[in-house]
Parts: sequence; structure tokens; C-alpha cells
Amino acid sequence: MSTPLYDVTNVTLRFGGVTSLNNVSMHHNRGEILAVIGPNGAGKTSLFNSLTGVYAPQEGTIVFDRDGSSPLSVIGKKPHRVSAAGVARTFQASRMFPAMTAFENVKIGAESHRGFGVIGAMVKGPSTRRHERETDERTWELLRFVGLEQQANVISNSLNYGARRRLEIARGLATNPTVLLLDEPAAGTNPSEKVELTELIRRVRDEMGVSILLIEHDMKLVMSLAERLYVLNFGSVIAEGTPEEIRANPDVIEAYLGSSDAGNEGAH
Amino acid sequence: MKNFFSSPLVKRVGAMVALWATVTVMTGPPGNPAQPTLGFTSSFTERVSFFGLFPTPRGVLFAALGLILAGIVVLYRRILHTPVQRAKASIVPTYQSISAKRSVRGSWYAAALVVAIMLPHVVTDPFWQSAMVSQIAIYTLLAIGLNVVVGFAGLLDLGFVAFYAIGAYVTAWVTGALPIGAPFHHVIDPFWAIPIAIVFVMIAGVLLGVPTLRLRGDYLAIVTLGFGEIITLFANNLYGITGGSTGSGEIPHFVFHVGNLKYLWGLNPVPYYYLTLGFVVLFLIIFSRLEHSRVGRAWIAIREDEVAAESLGVNPLKYKVMAFAIGAASAGFAGVMTAGQSFFINPATFTLSFSINILVLVIFGGMGSIMGVVIGSLLVQTVSMYLIHTPPAGFQNSDLYIYLGALLIAMMIFRPAGLWPSKRRRREIALVESGEEKDQRIVMTQTGEEL
Repeated sequence: MSTPLYDVTNVTLRFGGVTSLNNVSMHHNRGEILAVIGPNGAGKTSLFNSLTGVYAPQEGTIVFDRDGSSPLSVIGKKPHRVSAAGVARTFQASRMFPAMTAFENVKIGAESHRGFGVIGAMVKGPSTRRHERETDERTWELLRFVGLEQQANVISNSLNYGARRRLEIARGLATNPTVLLLDEPAAGTNPSEKVELTELIRRVRDEMGVSILLIEHDMKLVMSLAERLYVLNFGSVIAEGTPEEIRANPDVIEAYLGSSDAGNEGAH
Repeated sequence: MKNFFSSPLVKRVGAMVALWATVTVMTGPPGNPAQPTLGFTSSFTERVSFFGLFPTPRGVLFAALGLILAGIVVLYRRILHTPVQRAKASIVPTYQSISAKRSVRGSWYAAALVVAIMLPHVVTDPFWQSAMVSQIAIYTLLAIGLNVVVGFAGLLDLGFVAFYAIGAYVTAWVTGALPIGAPFHHVIDPFWAIPIAIVFVMIAGVLLGVPTLRLRGDYLAIVTLGFGEIITLFANNLYGITGGSTGSGEIPHFVFHVGNLKYLWGLNPVPYYYLTLGFVVLFLIIFSRLEHSRVGRAWIAIREDEVAAESLGVNPLKYKVMAFAIGAASAGFAGVMTAGQSFFINPATFTLSFSINILVLVIFGGMGSIMGVVIGSLLVQTVSMYLIHTPPAGFQNSDLYIYLGALLIAMMIFRPAGLWPSKRRRREIALVESGEEKDQRIVMTQTGEEL
């Protein structure tokens, strides 16, 4: 429990002449609900993509340590390798497999780390059948967990926004992760769905023991959920602390809360 | 005792020994009814050159090859393979499958198989008997193979003919019909060329796939198109190896000959029909199992959203290369059949229009739908053969492609998902047409470029 789950040190990510992340350092403690906030274009999604292997930052190190004894340097690893190491994520604009049912969406996550299985699939022997049964059970279990059991056979594209968000969480959990990265899970959901989602995220941590890293614009949700926050602005970390500390931080108020989003918060 | 036999090491060693014995017998001299055991024993004891160094029994040569291969596999696992993570599963109620519907479908398949088996007894016209093998059964096999690549994995392959050509040329090679001379120190029956050709074609699929499958969409289509042309050019120009444009020498007919058992496929097309039919059924079973396995689901996931699939731990490159190799295997087998039946091959058969022809069968039948593709190939090929056999006034054989092109355009307008589409493909196409998916893609690009 001593080492952090994620240890990000001096990460810089550039696209041509544009610096997207500038000397970012952060750490994610085990079992923590951590949030990253910041105005649009602050580099939050770039940070997520760097943490999951989609982008490879030019400078710095990102070390993910699943159980305190198997550190993995994320930079340069392909996303599927990072996923196998125990990182699951959702996307800002939810990316379901649109023509698949909810059940199939989750099942893909549940079986992707089981190796190849071409021969097994051709022969369809007892061990393949057993694996199939196990993944089906796991899939049902997760659909029940997020409350989508009734919609298991619905095409994911025809689910409403809140349900898609929950489905994406179930799909991520199916890969048996240590940490779940949520990219604006509440975007496009209505107030009652937001309450459900907050509840669900907390249950993921409490009941499944999965740490949470969250990007969110909805301040009410972030402040009620997160135990610690990082604030990004123009690609740099400008503040770090508990929700109360962040609320009181003058830099943050000026960069983020005080400007465009202050009115936004009041509207909720 | 049971634990001993099911331990991974024992299983693996057992599989290696079985493979070693099979390959050695397969490539060994044919059997002899007078001395039934000779075909087996001489396969192992025959003295051959050990990689050109010194003479040694064949059994030793193949054991050495096997050890080298096993070494490569072990090295690969040690260095490149990531540890497999096991998902924990707790006991909850199970998923129920719809078994009633399945049995109805099963009886349809059984009826279709009976019709297919009876067909050569009904159709006695020599033209049609020959066409049933070389133009219908083999094309169906090619179409279901291409369907794995195009329909399941969503990769547009315009050079599918290359694998067909490799299958045919490997057959000619191992039967000693090429100028380069036969491997394994003596000629092999074309029947045993089937597994050898499939292995070669799958290797070719992997070799082509690994560098090119990082490309997407149009770029992949262009590279595969080029690959098809390269193989044809090789066949045409490597006189010393392939015999150039004059083609191969005489390829013997299929013979199954191990120990006392012997069966000779002669000039009559009917036995070839049954052999091909058997393999069509085998490939149909394998492909439909793959479709409904996690391999098939991974293909669909990659096709629908590669980035999301990757984030869930699906390795896109691996699965795409696998689709390429598996699709290629059926093309390789089709190549062997063609070579064995027509006992002569030349590069003129392996053209771009051949690849397009197979693609038409897949698109017409319904991409991603195995039954659709089978029905599509049967229909299109039967009508094509009918036009060639009894041409209407003014019809010339080369006109066929005009009609195939027109058919394709008409299908794209009126029934873009194909004659008998898979449910999922129909949904995907409906999503694209309604613009929902397009909207989603636009949002995604914004996400990707958010700084």
C-alpha cells in the first residue's frame, strides 16, 4: 500500500508546436477517488490518453503499479497492454460498439484478456465452453451491478445517455481493473441520472475496490465525489488538494471557478 | 493419472510428437499394398540430407525442425507475450440460449447438405459436373474465406487471389511440377499438399498482414491490391521457379495413400466435388464457430470502434492478422483443389478480376453473413456458368464482368447490406445511413484533438 497506483512525474506532451501537457506531476493513491478538473482545453483528456497509452508523451515518466510490486512504465505501451495491466477507461463522447447489444458490449471487456483461443473457438471443447459460461456470468453480474439487467438485449445505440454511461462503466469494470478512468461521465445526463451516477461511482470504489480517476465539468458532482483534486490550466497543474482547499484556492477561482464556470455552477 | 495427462507440459509435448509423426508420414514416400507398414517405417528411416550438411534419417530431420520451432515459440512467449490475466467469476444464474430456434435451423442445414450430396446424381451433364467443382464449390470456398476478412474483420482485401495463387503454386511445387523441383527429397501426392499449402498461405497472410494491417480503409485496399499484382508478376517472371507464363508442368491427381489405404481421384469431377464439399462444410463450421466466439466478437469490436476495443484490451493488430491468415487458409485450400483437379496452372488464372469476382460474391450475398455469402456465391456463379454454357444471342464471355459490375451497383443502391445480410451488419449500415454514427465520429475527432 506504500507506493501510489499511478505516479506521474514531469510529463510533457507536445503536438508539433503546441504543448498540451507541461511538466505535469501527480500521483493517485490506492483506493482513492481522485478528480482532475480544469477549463476546456486545459489538457485533461490528453492526460487521460497519456495514462492509457493512446498518446506517448515526449518527456517524463508514468508508472502504473497494480499491486505495489509490479511497476509498469506506461509511456510507449499500447493501449491494450495498459488495459491488461489493470487500467479501464470510459470516453468523453461515449464510445459503445453501436450495433452490439448491451450484453455483448460488456462481454467483450470480460473476455479480452483471456488470450487468443482460435483453436479453442474452432474445436469448442469443454474448457472453451466453461470460459464462455464464466464470462456470461461475469457479464450478468456487472449488468446487474450498474442496473442494466433489463436492457441486456437492447442495441447499445438505442439506450439513453445515462444508460450508455452506466454501460460504459460496466464494460470497463469487465476487464477486471485496478483503476477506472472516467472521462466526463456526467456529460449529457439529466439531474436525476447524475445522482444515480454519483451513487454508482461511489459503489464501484466501495464494493469493487476499484480506484477512480475522474474528469468532470459538473462541479457539484466533483465536489461531492472526489477526495482529492488536481486542477489543470493550459496544460499545467495549478493546484492540488481536498475539495475544500480547492474551493478556497485563489488561483483556481481565477482560472476556473471565478471565470466562465462560476455562473454555470450556480445554474445546477 | 488424469492430472498427469491434462498438465500443460504433457499436452504440449504430446501435441509436438503427434505433429512430428504426422508431418513425417505425410511427406514420406507413398504406401505399398504388398508391405503395408513400409509406408510408415520408411517415412522415418529414409536417409536424407540434414539441412545439406550430412545424411540422416527423415525422422531425425523433422525432430530437429520441431525443436527449433518449439525454441522460437518459447522465446516468443518469454520475450514478447504478456501474462494472461484471469478474470474472476462468481456463481450467478447463467445466460440462456435459444435452443429451439437452433434445431429448426439445423434441420435446414441438414436438408441443404443432403441436396448437395445428391446433386451429382441429378446433374449429369459433364459441363455442369465440372463447373460444380471448379466454378461453384471452389468459388464458394473462396467467398466464405474472403468473408472472414471483409465481413467479420472489416478489412477490404483486393488481393485475395494472391493466397489462392500461393496455394496452387505450393501444390505444384511439392508435387514436383515446377522447374524448381520438389522439396522433402521426393514428390508428394497433391492430397498431402493440402495441409502444407494451408501452412504456407497462412504464413504469407501473416507476413503481408503484420506490416500492412496498421493501415486503415482505402490504404489497406491499395496495399492488398499491390500484393495480388506482385504475386502474379512473380508467377509470370520467375521462369526458373514458377515456369513463367507457360505455367507448371503436369500436376498429378489427388491420391490418398497411407499403408494399405489407397484412393485415387481421376478425371471424373464428382470425387473432387465431394472432397471440396467436405472442406466447404468443414470451413463453414469453423467460420461460424469463430463468428460466435470471442474471436468473432473481437473482430466486430475492432470493426465498430477500434479505439474503444483497444482500451478494453483487444489487440487490434493481432486479431486483424489472424483474420487475414484464417481467410487465406481457405483460399490456399481452394488453390490446392484447383491445381489438383486441373493438373496444370498458369499465371493467367490469377488476375485482379478474379479477386474482384470473389468480392462481388461476398458483397452480393451479404458481408459478414456466412449463409448469405454461400447463397450469393451459388446464385451468381450458377447464373454466370449458365450464361457461359448457353449464351444468349450476342453474349460473349468477357461481357460477364459488365453484368457483375451492374449487379454490384444495383445492390449498392437497393440493398446495400446484401441479399441475406447478418443482423449486425444491417444495423451498422442503418446507423451509418441515419447519420448517427457520423455525428459520433465528429465528436470523437474533437475529443482526439482537444488540447
